[in-house]
Amino acid sequence: MNKKTIFFIVLALASLQGYAQKARKLSFIGGARSSVFSNALSVSDTLIDTTTAKNNYGGYTLLDLGFNIQPNKQTEIMGMFRIKNNYGGFWGSGVQFDVRQLWVKGVVGNALRYQIGDLNLRQSPFTLYNHHADQLDSMPSVFKLQQNIVSYEQFYQNNTWRMQGANVDFGLSFSKFLKEINFNGFVTRLNATNFANVNERLMTGGNISVFQSNQFRFGYTYNSTFDLKATTANNNLFSNTIHTFDWSINHAIAQNNLKLAGEAGISNWNYSADTLAPVLNDYFVNAYAKLYLAYFHTNISVGYLNVGPDFRSIGAQSKDVNYNAPTLFFNRFTNNQQLRPITLIDMIGNENIYNRTISTSLASENEVFNDILPFGLATFNRVGAYGKLQYQSKNNIHVQAEVYRLNEIRGQGSDALKAFSQIKLNSKIPFHTLIGLANKLEVQLGMRLQQTTRNSIYATENIDYKNLQVSLGLNYEIIPDLELLAGFVQQQNNGNSFITERNEYSEVTYFRNSNYNLSQQIAAVGLRINFSPKAYLCALLQQSSYQDQSTINNKAMADFKINQFGLIYNILL
Amino acid sequence: MKKTLLFIGLVSIGLSACRKENTFDGPSINEINSKFAILESFKVDKSTADFETGNAIFSARFNKIVSWKITIKGSISKATKIISGESKVIDASNASWNGSTTLFPLFKTENCTATLLIASENDSASTTISISKTKLLPTGARMIANFENGLDPKWTKFFQSGASMECLVKADNFAPEGTKYLNMGGTVNWDWLIGLVDFNANAYNNNVTFPFSTNPENEYFNVLIYGDPDPKTNMTKALFQFKEDENSDGVFDPTKEDEYDYSVDVNWVGWRLISVKYAEMVTLENGSPIPPKGNKLHNPDKIGKISFLQLANPDFGFARCKIDLVSFTQNKALDL
Repeated sequence: MNKKTIFFIVLALASLQGYAQKARKLSFIGGARSSVFSNALSVSDTLIDTTTAKNNYGGYTLLDLGFNIQPNKQTEIMGMFRIKNNYGGFWGSGVQFDVRQLWVKGVVGNALRYQIGDLNLRQSPFTLYNHHADQLDSMPSVFKLQQNIVSYEQFYQNNTWRMQGANVDFGLSFSKFLKEINFNGFVTRLNATNFANVNERLMTGGNISVFQSNQFRFGYTYNSTFDLKATTANNNLFSNTIHTFDWSINHAIAQNNLKLAGEAGISNWNYSADTLAPVLNDYFVNAYAKLYLAYFHTNISVGYLNVGPDFRSIGAQSKDVNYNAPTLFFNRFTNNQQLRPITLIDMIGNENIYNRTISTSLASENEVFNDILPFGLATFNRVGAYGKLQYQSKNNIHVQAEVYRLNEIRGQGSDALKAFSQIKLNSKIPFHTLIGLANKLEVQLGMRLQQTTRNSIYATENIDYKNLQVSLGLNYEIIPDLELLAGFVQQQNNGNSFITERNEYSEVTYFRNSNYNLSQQIAAVGLRINFSPKAYLCALLQQSSYQDQSTINNKAMADFKINQFGLIYNILL
Repeated sequence: MKKTLLFIGLVSIGLSACRKENTFDGPSINEINSKFAILESFKVDKSTADFETGNAIFSARFNKIVSWKITIKGSISKATKIISGESKVIDASNASWNGSTTLFPLFKTENCTATLLIASENDSASTTISISKTKLLPTGARMIANFENGLDPKWTKFFQSGASMECLVKADNFAPEGTKYLNMGGTVNWDWLIGLVDFNANAYNNNVTFPFSTNPENEYFNVLIYGDPDPKTNMTKALFQFKEDENSDGVFDPTKEDEYDYSVDVNWVGWRLISVKYAEMVTLENGSPIPPKGNKLHNPDKIGKISFLQLANPDFGFARCKIDLVSFTQNKALDL
């Protein structure tokens, strides 16, 4: 039974139920967007590229129309249709009609909340969590606008993953000893059986949070991905189970506050009947102390991270970016029809390369964008310490700084261990409040430096790899509701590293030596007219460039630039 | 607070006890980057191969893991066998040749040259082997159609009356095995179906079902397909349907009995061997998997009819392909 059929059944049932009730409510939500882009590619190759198209035009108009029905006070039904027409579509050709969202949620006995259908799920960073590990932390507004469209399309909300299934949660309050206990559980379907050899794969999870007081809380989280037995004749069943324990202790010191918190857990990863598949068991610990200094409006944290080399968690180690996906435009270039690498312009606004839900195998990493924590905090084979500082002044100057110093726990192709360091610095400065301007003038600055080193007794195993990312953003309100947006991002990759190749069981099979002298930039300027807080029209002009200057890199790419002009009209109902 | 820290400390110690100690993951990088050397030269274990009785084993040994490729070419047939791998050692575990072919036609009784290429090191070596007896079809293989005797009148045939239609058994140099094959193609711009051939069980014996085993895990369907798609449309679909006569009444009821299907887009050029385990076939409706309509069990012993359908999107209309060696093998896929 497809989503459309289910939707109409649910709609019909809701109508029948609502017929007898006077309190029935129906509201419409959704959004509309029209986007048109013109892209131009220029390639600097030793041979003039005469085989690939250099210009690309495209666009679409879409309408998301959602019906939110409340047949009674305890029940809410949501169904959203999408109509999308690519420019050039005519009489049905190029027009897509789809069900975008469908869920029912409600409360049973004023105590147990449930939701069935589409779910946005998140647990802890080590169980089920969309880390967005490769994204720019301080993305200038002109790029954030494009990234928001990707997030809307892929249902990214606060590190959640989009899934289908059922979710329940409820809580118990106590008058003595304990304050409250909250329970949450879900079951979702990761992939459907093909009735032959691919088993039904489900993910279940649960969490119990015990609040002893406002000062002390602890909890248990469970997550398991498993193949359902007997859904096909294939008796080789996969399972990945994680159990974690987390805690949080708050201690007030005058106006200040000290928080000691963390999470520790174990994972198991196995196939039941595949003798070639390894059984992976490991653990992780993440513990930190966070001090809030009220006088300085500052949070300071120090933490310890230890994630074992065999720690596996499908829900936390799935990546939002699929580096094997084709790019939206200019997928191949040069006379040799090379695959164009994923660059900053794709990372910012190409929804094609983003996964909507979690993958069932270990996702590919890309050291060009993140060599240190490619799976966020859940990156396996890391041990070390980190420190964070957050400052927000009374006039809204934001400053964030992070330092990570990590090492491998187990060597990769060498007894020598890699050492990782990462420094991040992001700030947002509202100059209009500092110099007394009536119109908004906000500047964003960001910097991330990643460095990986390995010193071995064998010189061929040595690594010295740096990745520097710098971003600058400007947001100026020229007149009320007319904003000038500008942004620039520069990324530089230098040094040598080894790209890890893995088999289907995530075991390392080979290391490819790779040398980088790679420079990428993207610069954009845009004008945005805000019709309301929920509607805007934006004209964008942006240029990205990719320069691979390495002479010894095996996969040397021709340098190229992409110029892009776009118009986006976006409205939320 | 002290108790909490003590508890956390004890948990940490407990956890660290369950982490296994390995030296490092993967192959040694130092070894990968060392200077390449062949420690044992490339050779084959016999100068003359009788593939009715045994395989030919190639061997070599290197000082590090490399990607290697052995290409065996027949001097008369021009058949090619490619064996490749990534390892330090070439031996029976990764370079055993049973006389099969990668690029058709099949090998004949002839002399062959085997060349080992290690592209990353720009190194190669050669040896020779002659074939005294070619490979046989495996024991238990059942031939559904090799077209050597043309189209059997007991098979059911249907071809649309489109443009440039052809459904002929041909005998020419394209034949990958024996001397003949079935060629089908044409343009039909009002329907997906170009043509079909039903291989009915009663064409082979007096029973209403084929004499296959009851275990779908042991039965493999095999067919050789020659692709030659129109580059403008790249559109030819070959659909094989396996219709189970579950009540053995001699009639397949599509509403009450299982049909399992295998569909393949013929978007390559040249001959390709397709092999599918019967247990892995699914029921398709308009190309999408649906639950079977009968007892929902793969019963190869109940197959009463095997249909080959050639399809093309009527928006394009044109399709063509050749097929040969339609067969079932037991326990493993056909290895030619």
